[in-house]
Amino acid sequence: MKFLGWKQIVLAIAGFTLIILALIVAKAIPAEALRQVIEKALTKPSGWRNILQESTPLILLGCSVFLALKVGLFNIGADGQFVIGACAAVVVALNVPGPIAIPLSILAGILGGALWAYPVGLIKAYRGGHEVITTIMLNNIAAFFTFYLVSGPIKDPTSQQPSTASISTAAELPNLYEKLPFKLNSSILFAIVCVIGLWWYLKKTVGGYEISATGENTNVARFAGINVNRIIVRTMSASGAIAGLAGALQVLAFEHRFYGNFSPGYGFDALGVALLASSNPLGILASGLLFGTISESTSVLSRTGVPKGLSYILLGVLVIVFAAYRYRKEAQSGTDS
Amino acid sequence: MRAITKIFGNVIALDNVDLTVQTGHIHAIVGENGAGKTTLMKVLYGAHSATTGEYKLGENSQRFKNPEAAIAAGVGMVSQHYAIIPELTCLQNLLLGAEPGLVINQAQAIERAEQLATQMGFKFNWNQNAEELSPGQAQKLEILKLLWRNAKILILDEPTAMLAPEDADLLYAKLHELTQTGATVLVVTHRLPDVMEHCDEVTVLRGGKLIYTGPVSQTNPTELAEKMIGISMTEHSPTQSSPGDTILTVKNATVKGEKGEDAVKNISFELKSGELVGIAGVDGNGQRELFHALMGLKPSAGEFLLSDQNLSSLSTQQRIQVGIRLVAEDRHDEAVIERWTIAENAILGLQRTPGILKGKSIDRAQQTNLANTVTQLFPTRFDHINQPFRDLSGGNQQKVVVARALQQDPKVILAFQPTRGIDLYVADLVYQGLIKATREGATVLVVSFDLDELMTYCDRILVMNHGVLKEVPNSLRSDRQAIGRMMVGADE
Repeated sequence: MKFLGWKQIVLAIAGFTLIILALIVAKAIPAEALRQVIEKALTKPSGWRNILQESTPLILLGCSVFLALKVGLFNIGADGQFVIGACAAVVVALNVPGPIAIPLSILAGILGGALWAYPVGLIKAYRGGHEVITTIMLNNIAAFFTFYLVSGPIKDPTSQQPSTASISTAAELPNLYEKLPFKLNSSILFAIVCVIGLWWYLKKTVGGYEISATGENTNVARFAGINVNRIIVRTMSASGAIAGLAGALQVLAFEHRFYGNFSPGYGFDALGVALLASSNPLGILASGLLFGTISESTSVLSRTGVPKGLSYILLGVLVIVFAAYRYRKEAQSGTDS
Repeated sequence: MRAITKIFGNVIALDNVDLTVQTGHIHAIVGENGAGKTTLMKVLYGAHSATTGEYKLGENSQRFKNPEAAIAAGVGMVSQHYAIIPELTCLQNLLLGAEPGLVINQAQAIERAEQLATQMGFKFNWNQNAEELSPGQAQKLEILKLLWRNAKILILDEPTAMLAPEDADLLYAKLHELTQTGATVLVVTHRLPDVMEHCDEVTVLRGGKLIYTGPVSQTNPTELAEKMIGISMTEHSPTQSSPGDTILTVKNATVKGEKGEDAVKNISFELKSGELVGIAGVDGNGQRELFHALMGLKPSAGEFLLSDQNLSSLSTQQRIQVGIRLVAEDRHDEAVIERWTIAENAILGLQRTPGILKGKSIDRAQQTNLANTVTQLFPTRFDHINQPFRDLSGGNQQKVVVARALQQDPKVILAFQPTRGIDLYVADLVYQGLIKATREGATVLVVSFDLDELMTYCDRILVMNHGVLKEVPNSLRSDRQAIGRMMVGADE
């Protein structure tokens, strides 16, 4: 990346000012807030544990959104696919004994997410229905449907809350490393493998090449002998599958049960993660970690009385500054004849 | 315009160019690709600002900051790439940016539009969606847009590239009428016959420098061509073809058009190895539908055979793999992805042909090889095969697109307007490349709206009119008038 230019620097400074103002409005002293964040989130093992835990679903969902973006679809529905994946995984984990519960639950999560995205691809490819509309609707259906399930059919009878029972310890994904309070769960490996796999597929294979061509211009892709409709349906389903995987891992690694309003909006944060990664899938690792860090920082601050909503301001500013930079480049290079 | 210099980065696009255009004249600007014709016009039109230099309109020194200012002063331009929004109707396109008021009186607007159209001899269904317009019609609409805005100076960039000879003549006749009413027309073109026949004055640019300016009557085509290219060009003389086995057989093909009508009506023909066959005809007579059906992009009835293999059940990808190639009509929206690099575009369409595809991945070394071959087949000016495709000039882009169709063992090459928007010299190279492919055993089918071009290069000429295909008999092979009559169905 070359020198950004004055406009971008002004933009970045404006962004920082906005965040500091937000802190002041929230009755916090910016320097004190920064000290708190560094002391309690960034330099403590428990802080790092939370950051890595938050980043895992964000990275996976970032992959999901990124893949769909490549074929030209805006997958707002990652959140719904995530929830369905988590719910499917929990049902399997509660009913299948012992260690085979783990692979089967993961499979169930992947299938659930893929099935939740499949109709989106179909409607887009063969009927032209816009994916943003259909995914938003499916998000709501997923949220209400799973809420209904945990309020009745799969509710743990002993629980006061709309929640399932906890899965057995054998079905939990083991930690890679544990030195309390620091813990690193093996689910992060899935996230890393997913990012690298995505990078490899998009950059090296003919399938990835055809996905990119379709995303750039469906008409050119058709002329290049690409079955555009099939690519759209498959890619959308794969995007859903990754989101479903994220849901399954969230259950098996961290939550160990499923409950109403399961996702705190990961699917939407993932849009920012994918956008920040720009054109390189490997960037998802970095942007996912960044989002995880911001989330943990604001959660530390919230204990000192600063509202948690600050993280949304921070993320919003980040995405806007980045988008302003990225699309400025495109607008400039697009004018030449 | 005086001493106009325009510098892009470290490229001098225009070097001290002077230009004087008299009111009421049709003034041609000619030159090779990259000679600076379009840049000069864009400076005049306010789309680019000149690095140094000044220009006067009448007595007043002018310097348009943007096209809006130019339009307000009566200067309008139709560029090579039309600014028509396909989702809007013709009328909406006409009004766009120059609405008569906050509330649009539909009836009044149509009345004035109709009046302008009649004045130019055009016909439009104003409530039709613009996406149904053929490129020729789109251009007419663009010209009307300028008249709607009361432009007094009209700049047309390659206006006849998409038109049949009759339509081109008609267009120039109408432009003449316009100049009678005090308008001035600047035409950027590379078609010298147009210049000689229809223009009053001509300016030649080469490499951003002014080479010649003066009345058309004091020059001749050979002289102009030499001035454009800088070297004298030899006339192409057709070499004898020696047709071999039949490669492509089409029997009783019928293809439906956009509106469900039969765009191609029960046509049959054969293409033999070693020959270059041209399809002459006015735009919109079924050529597009025929090509799309041959590529498997459109369903069709009838029999399509490649040697003995039935093509009907093959997908577009499979047809590419058995050796059918298409040089698509619309480079921007059919042939290349301009944001991509040259190397990425070099394999577009060929991505699953043997050699490029290794297992499930793309062989990068082969891709680089192919990109190098494709850019070297016709001398293409570029920095690096990993530079964005859109950095290439139009002519260079087209060279790459044609060269790509000649790769990976093609058997049938379908070329739709392969020389659209490129100059004589490159057009000649493109046809030489196609002819060379036929000599190596392929067969080439070209659709062009430029009859002269087909008459120069093709071994056989077919004519397509209203979806019906006829072969030009050998006796009429060089009779321009007779073929022209067949093109409009006036031969019976």
